[in-house]
Amino acid sequence: MNFVKEFTKGLWKENPILRLLLGMCPTLAVTTSAINGLGMGLATLAVLICSNLVVSQLRKMIPKKVRIPAFIVVIASFVTMVDLTMNAFAHDLHKSLGLFIPLIVVNCLILGRAEAFASKKPLLGSFVDGLGMGIGFTLALVVLGSIREVLGNGTIFDVALFGKGFLPMIVMILPPGAFIMLGFLMAGMNRIDKGIS
Amino acid sequence: MEANRKETAAQEETKAAAAPPKKGEKAKKPETSSDAFILSASPHISSGESIRSLMNDVILALVPGLLVGIYYFGMDAVRVIAITTASAVAFEAGTQRLMGRPVAVSDMSAVLTGILLAMNLPSGSPWWICVIGSAVAIVVAKQLYGGIGYNIFNPALVARVVLLISWPVQMTTWPEPKPFFQRGVDTVTGATALGKMKESLLLQGDLSGIADIRWIDPFLGHTGGSLGEISAVALALGGIYLIARRVITWHIPVSYLGSVLVMAVIFHQIDPNRYAPPMFHLVTGGLMLGAFYMATDLVTSPVTYRGMLIFGVGCGIITMVIRYWGGYPEGVSFAILLMNATTPLIDRWVKPKTFGTTVQRAGAAE
Amino acid sequence: MRDISRLVVVLALFCIFAAGILAQVYDVTKGPIAEAKAEEVRRAIRAVLPQYNNKADEEFIDRIIGKDKKGNDIVRRVYVGKREDAVVGRAYVVVAPDGYSGNIEIMMGVSPEGRITGIEIVSHAETPGLGAKIVKEETWSGKGDGPGGLVGKTLANNLKVKKDGGEIDQITGATISPRAIVNAVRQGLEFHGKEFPG
Repeated sequence: MNFVKEFTKGLWKENPILRLLLGMCPTLAVTTSAINGLGMGLATLAVLICSNLVVSQLRKMIPKKVRIPAFIVVIASFVTMVDLTMNAFAHDLHKSLGLFIPLIVVNCLILGRAEAFASKKPLLGSFVDGLGMGIGFTLALVVLGSIREVLGNGTIFDVALFGKGFLPMIVMILPPGAFIMLGFLMAGMNRIDKGIS
Repeated sequence: MEANRKETAAQEETKAAAAPPKKGEKAKKPETSSDAFILSASPHISSGESIRSLMNDVILALVPGLLVGIYYFGMDAVRVIAITTASAVAFEAGTQRLMGRPVAVSDMSAVLTGILLAMNLPSGSPWWICVIGSAVAIVVAKQLYGGIGYNIFNPALVARVVLLISWPVQMTTWPEPKPFFQRGVDTVTGATALGKMKESLLLQGDLSGIADIRWIDPFLGHTGGSLGEISAVALALGGIYLIARRVITWHIPVSYLGSVLVMAVIFHQIDPNRYAPPMFHLVTGGLMLGAFYMATDLVTSPVTYRGMLIFGVGCGIITMVIRYWGGYPEGVSFAILLMNATTPLIDRWVKPKTFGTTVQRAGAAE
Repeated sequence: MRDISRLVVVLALFCIFAAGILAQVYDVTKGPIAEAKAEEVRRAIRAVLPQYNNKADEEFIDRIIGKDKKGNDIVRRVYVGKREDAVVGRAYVVVAPDGYSGNIEIMMGVSPEGRITGIEIVSHAETPGLGAKIVKEETWSGKGDGPGGLVGKTLANNLKVKKDGGEIDQITGATISPRAIVNAVRQGLEFHGKEFPG
């Protein structure tokens, strides 16, 4: 197994958001600022790595017929752990992400990786896969959140970028801005790929 | 096929102009599905100029409304129109070039979008609002959807709504109308008639705030508002010209204005203290501009007469619901955009039966 | 049959194991979560009251201010800030039900003579970039526009937004959220005058 390839595929070639279009719900809903994107991305990254590890470790134990419920139990447990931990130690971020932390359970990305990768591959490969996919997810969220925050609020990570005269384009931090910007990011990515080949 | 809709409609238009149909065979064109155009027998009149002549007609029809805007808002209005039109054309050419499409700014559609956008902006809009508006209209709402004929939503309205949401302060600062020869340097700003209505309802709980507005003022154009929406009569005149030239049919404007009128009459009867008189609703806001020029956009409205009637009534009802109970004072833009989204559904729903197929009765098929 | 019972056993084991681990995590995080929530309350009290040196978040009085639809009492918890045993102010949460989208919860501090000492927005769902400006620091430090002028006022002032004929600034382009706040704060002051006169 080529670990470098398994790691980098999540960053670009099979980027969960910009290529596979998985986990659109948190992508569109919470990326109103860079910090929200980062928080959501890291929370998902943690759940993804843990669930990939456990699923891969137990893959021979889990009967085929009940594998989906078993995966969901594993994922839900990790999500609850992340939820409680964030509530305790990152209270404000937890508050601004709100309902979307528990909703990581239904993020297709995590179940998708468990089903398509971790349930068939050994431990280390699954870890690398989860790490790459999770970082790819986080990067995409941070980029999307940063662009929306800059355009829609005039700040990045809450640091003001422009003078008082700057009038932000509010639509960018509202739901339509998420769709428009995501489209532009995907188009930009395709454009870069075309340029390379 | 969708792509050709505008073009085929345009061809139809030139055909109609070339050989006017006899009195008896009216209502034939849009009742056939658009497949019929492709299957129809030769000879065909094809013309690269058809979109252009269509657009020119619409622009010509907008001239009275534009003139009233310039008369009341002065050089500011000219400035806004010039900026939006020039930047719309520039964005059209730029995007088409970037996307590897043939550059077709000479079809005048970008010019029309620019003018319509300007008519939907306050005359005091800063230049960057005009430019961003053009970018949203042409790049996002038109070219990204595939260019002319493919867009789902009316580009100028998408731009207006994006601007309204993004810069609500600038987009609702309405300079007071002042006849051209009386203009001074300082501009006073005020609310639109519909804005005053909403505020009066909110504060006093009745319509006392608009008691001094006579319907003749917004009818002629002496009222606050976007630079191209103020004069109901000038816009209606242009609209009638378009119907006479067969650029648009009467169905959407009449059903739109009709449903607004009916709702206004009913609610005014129920409680004249809360619901303004019908005439007030007809002449204020962007209704005339919307009903004649935006809702009738060939690309984003249904192709059949029946579909058009449904479309118009839908627009009218949504407009009035927003005006009566919504957070915004005016609902024409939102109403037309929402109905744009339903256009494919309406088209599918009222699709006419192809000649020769049997009618399937409900239940008979199984 | 053997097959089914195996599935059941495996799934049950998964669930039992997961539940056990979650119980552990819950136990570990319970304390910090409660502490974080208490800190949130303390932070809001500190923001709205003048210097105090008691544990204001633990010295509170509950007052019944009405009944909800089910007939249960609605309780308002009043935190009392003291300095050398003298009351310097009382802080409590008022709810503005008529914000642009949903309730706005406001922590307000009132001095014993009925003067507003501070205001902090606890939670809201107003439009970003518009009504949401109510949470910005400039709004309440008096540098930006908005209802910051509320601080220092008493019931003797005309506590309405300027658009309604009062003396409090609204936010440019957003009247509804400041109006909701101003009205809720005025009612909060009336509550103070009734419950804690003098």
